[in-house]
Amino acid sequence: MRFLRKDIQSFIPLILYFGSMLLLIEWVLPLEQVTDTGETIAFILFIMLCFFLSAVFMPRWLRFPLKLAGMLLLVHYLFMAESFLSRAWFTVLFADFKINMTNVFSQQWMELTPLFRTFLFLILLWMMSYLLYYWFVIRKKPLSFILITFIYLTVLDTFTTFDAKHAIIRAFIISAILLSSAHFSRILERENLKLPSFKRLTKWVSPVLIVVLFSTIIGYAAPKYDPIWPDPVPYLQSQAGGQGSGGSSTIGPQRIGYGTNDERLGGGFIWDESTVFYAQAQSSQYWKVETKDVYTGKGWVNSHDGVILPSEDGYVDRLMSYGDVVETRDGEARIQFIDPGNLDKIPYMYGTERFIPIDDLQYDYNLMTGAVYPFNNEGIQMPIVNGIDYESEISRPFFPTNRMREVEAEHVDEDFEQYLQLPETLPDRVVELAEEIVANETNRYEQAKAIEQYFSQNGFTYEEIDVPVPGEDEDYVDQFLFETQRGYCDNFSTSMVVMLRAVDIPARWVKGFTGGERVIQDHVFDDGSWMPVYEVQNNHAHSWVEVYFPDIGWVPFEPTVGFSNEASFTLGDDIEDHLEDREYDVEEDEPTPEVETEIEREDGAEEEEEDETVVASNNTSFWNIFFIVAVSLIALIIIIRIIYRRRYLIVGKWKRQKLKQKKDLDSFSDAYQFLLKILSSKGLPLKEGQTLREYAQEIDRFFGISDMKSLTHYYERAIYSDELIDKHFKDAYQIWDKMTKKLTA
Amino acid sequence: MTQQLLSEQTKIEQLINNIERVIVGKKEAIELSIIALLAEGHILLEDVPGVGKTMLVRAIAKSLNLDFRRIQFTPDLLPSDVTGVSIYNQKDMNFEFRPGPIFGNIVLADEINRTSPKTQSALLESMEERHITVDGVTRELKRPFFVMATQNPIEYEGTYPLPEAQLDRFLLKLRLGYPSENDEIAMLSNLSTGHPIEQIRAVMDQEELIRHQEMVKRIYVSDAVKSYIVKIVNNTRNHPLFELGASPRASIALMKAAKAYAFIKGRDYVIPDDIKHLTPHVLSHRIILSSEARFEGKTATSIIHDLVRKTMVPIERGS
Repeated sequence: MRFLRKDIQSFIPLILYFGSMLLLIEWVLPLEQVTDTGETIAFILFIMLCFFLSAVFMPRWLRFPLKLAGMLLLVHYLFMAESFLSRAWFTVLFADFKINMTNVFSQQWMELTPLFRTFLFLILLWMMSYLLYYWFVIRKKPLSFILITFIYLTVLDTFTTFDAKHAIIRAFIISAILLSSAHFSRILERENLKLPSFKRLTKWVSPVLIVVLFSTIIGYAAPKYDPIWPDPVPYLQSQAGGQGSGGSSTIGPQRIGYGTNDERLGGGFIWDESTVFYAQAQSSQYWKVETKDVYTGKGWVNSHDGVILPSEDGYVDRLMSYGDVVETRDGEARIQFIDPGNLDKIPYMYGTERFIPIDDLQYDYNLMTGAVYPFNNEGIQMPIVNGIDYESEISRPFFPTNRMREVEAEHVDEDFEQYLQLPETLPDRVVELAEEIVANETNRYEQAKAIEQYFSQNGFTYEEIDVPVPGEDEDYVDQFLFETQRGYCDNFSTSMVVMLRAVDIPARWVKGFTGGERVIQDHVFDDGSWMPVYEVQNNHAHSWVEVYFPDIGWVPFEPTVGFSNEASFTLGDDIEDHLEDREYDVEEDEPTPEVETEIEREDGAEEEEEDETVVASNNTSFWNIFFIVAVSLIALIIIIRIIYRRRYLIVGKWKRQKLKQKKDLDSFSDAYQFLLKILSSKGLPLKEGQTLREYAQEIDRFFGISDMKSLTHYYERAIYSDELIDKHFKDAYQIWDKMTKKLTA
Repeated sequence: MTQQLLSEQTKIEQLINNIERVIVGKKEAIELSIIALLAEGHILLEDVPGVGKTMLVRAIAKSLNLDFRRIQFTPDLLPSDVTGVSIYNQKDMNFEFRPGPIFGNIVLADEINRTSPKTQSALLESMEERHITVDGVTRELKRPFFVMATQNPIEYEGTYPLPEAQLDRFLLKLRLGYPSENDEIAMLSNLSTGHPIEQIRAVMDQEELIRHQEMVKRIYVSDAVKSYIVKIVNNTRNHPLFELGASPRASIALMKAAKAYAFIKGRDYVIPDDIKHLTPHVLSHRIILSSEARFEGKTATSIIHDLVRKTMVPIERGS
């Protein structure tokens, strides 16, 4: 591939090659938005390098090391801290490769490191530069790649947040120029012509450009129909959900994050990596925002507005009050908001005692919900402000499990009816299940732990997208517990609260954020503070459970599979020992959802017995189905195309076998007809009224051979005379075999 | 049979070459004449005077060592002038039959359209029947019997054009046409040492020819080819430019001619190419053009050419 010369003949290949590069770049551009790929510019630069090196006249031995160097430089720029090509650099690189090779052999694809994935992606781009050269410049068949590009862009536009408005226009212009160039090039080839001169070339170029420009403007400016599917994902989900649950569900996927309205839970959500706040604390802890006490059967509301208490010098004594048996350790925390969205409350850690006032900023808190609001001195609620450090002092609680175990199962709490509320519509089987789970437990702590662990021990799976919304006559918890058995934090936490209440344990539903991801962000807290910094994103919005224990208080529990409770528990031993293990071990404690690559439904048989399983089966992940269907379809098309292209080769082999076995007129006639088909596919069909002899002459003249005439002679004898073919079969077979092999090669 | 066929083919080639020494550059016409001869058919030569019609027939007769007769048709020619007449022999006191020119092996019926239909039919009937009845006595004609009738397509004054029913009796209609410039020069050169007709010798005898005629009858025609013949003939009957299509006799003629053609090509079976090659010659005088076609200036031959080109050739056995 070295056509970049001053010769005019390299003009069209250059256009084709350059256009193919632009199309490939269109593939890379959306990656930043729709995947976790960053720095796409690096990949684009690498594509350009590959294409440039391939296009210029350069010996192969030089091209390869240059591309490899480009690749290593990019890897270095993106991932390496060590100096380039130093010994340490290679050590890190090889260590990384070693780990990844192990992962590759053990098929743990999700465990591959970003460096290795980048490396593989760069190799793929390198390969693509070769492939596109072959498709576009040698074969001059850009259509397939163009079509795939358009499908890719439209699918991304439809099913992701990526907006392909401009990409489509760019792709259109590039494709139009590519197709016309390829066509022009094919015409030149067919007519055995050469490009005359640049001056005369403009006669071709200008009309092409005018047509492309004109159609682009028309296409852009012309009025268009509204999309039939304004947003197909929720539409399809509502269709699927509607079929199963009486057409009541219309809620599509939501973007994850902190929401205020929890009246109707359910439905999938889209990940959102935008940062809500940065937090600095001794260890990763859950950030509580508020609690809710009334379960409606569909979601959560508050029984009343609660009592707002002002803080005194920032002290919020009654926000989190624990019994004396709960040991605490002092600490501090601060958060700085980046994008609070519709969050108007301040998240805080368990054990928060005081919010340190800033200027005239005071903190009021709702005694019932536990929500903390910033107020000014004049008693007006203030919005959450970005860039301010909201600092707090904490007495981090260590819940003694030995004391919690002392609360007997039969213990009845006075004045806690509010936290024992259950809707009348709650199906009995939920209560029966709860009773069954705690049947063998004798104390409240064990009962709560039994319900908390029930989910992970019974095949419940974590799922964000394919989560149905309960229909009008369905209960959110009931649906989760008995039908879908998959969901995210809201499903698990709500179910646990409901089941606890079903066995008369006071419990409430808590909303907030998990501890976030530990980051190295010098610019957030630049006061020389020594505490680790955590980035809390919308992705970290979470809900969990608080269970009331007399003499202790509200203790957090974490039923969601894949998450671990970050609250500290002690067996009553010295908390200092405990702290040694707990603090700064963020890596281990990081609450990450377990990656469920395969959802195995152990309880499938049980579900099959119930008619209501229709809901679950209809709600099979839209995304999964879409991608499986799309990938299968593309694979099928490719396979069919390959088979179609090689159909004569495949059928030829089969006919050859048949001919070897059956040396009769029928198989010979069949084989000869097959040869006619091959020739016809090569643009040399037997014309109407043409005799075989005339046709054979034409074929022989075309290929400069005499085989067809000889073979036709045998065939004529076979079909027009009364002689048997046996005598000449061997000779005829040899010619046929030679010809078919030559034609299908 | 193949081996034998090849040797016969060589002989036929010799025959053609022999005739070609007299009629320069008209190999196709010679070949077609031989085909008609072998298929036991007759030929209608339609051409202007002086292109060598008589010479062709004479050359054929001489090459085959056959008895050649010529009848110059004139308006006053009587049927008995063709068939022969019984004359009273006063010495023997009985009628003695004097055979007419039709009792030759090869008869040249020159300008057949100049004589009265009565005389024409006397000839044409004998061509078909291969025997004649004079004065109540049926007399067999010689074997082989081959008539080559000519007619001038230019002069129509004082002529009696042959009716379609009569034309049907000719196996082939052909034209000699003017020779090419080179051929004409060669012809002139050949004349410098006397007329070539005097120089040629017979290459085949009567018995041999009859044997060949018998062999031709045994040439195989597959069902596929037969259906191809019928398809072509049928198409002439449905063709919008033909007022009258070809008769079943045309199908028979086409098959007979094709057999002879296959024979001279050294094959013992007929292929569609044979049919395709012969169709215009066999069919062109058997159809009547519509006035529309005439108005458009189309000829029967060109329309038949088109028709054959559009008829699907069988490429499988039995199709």
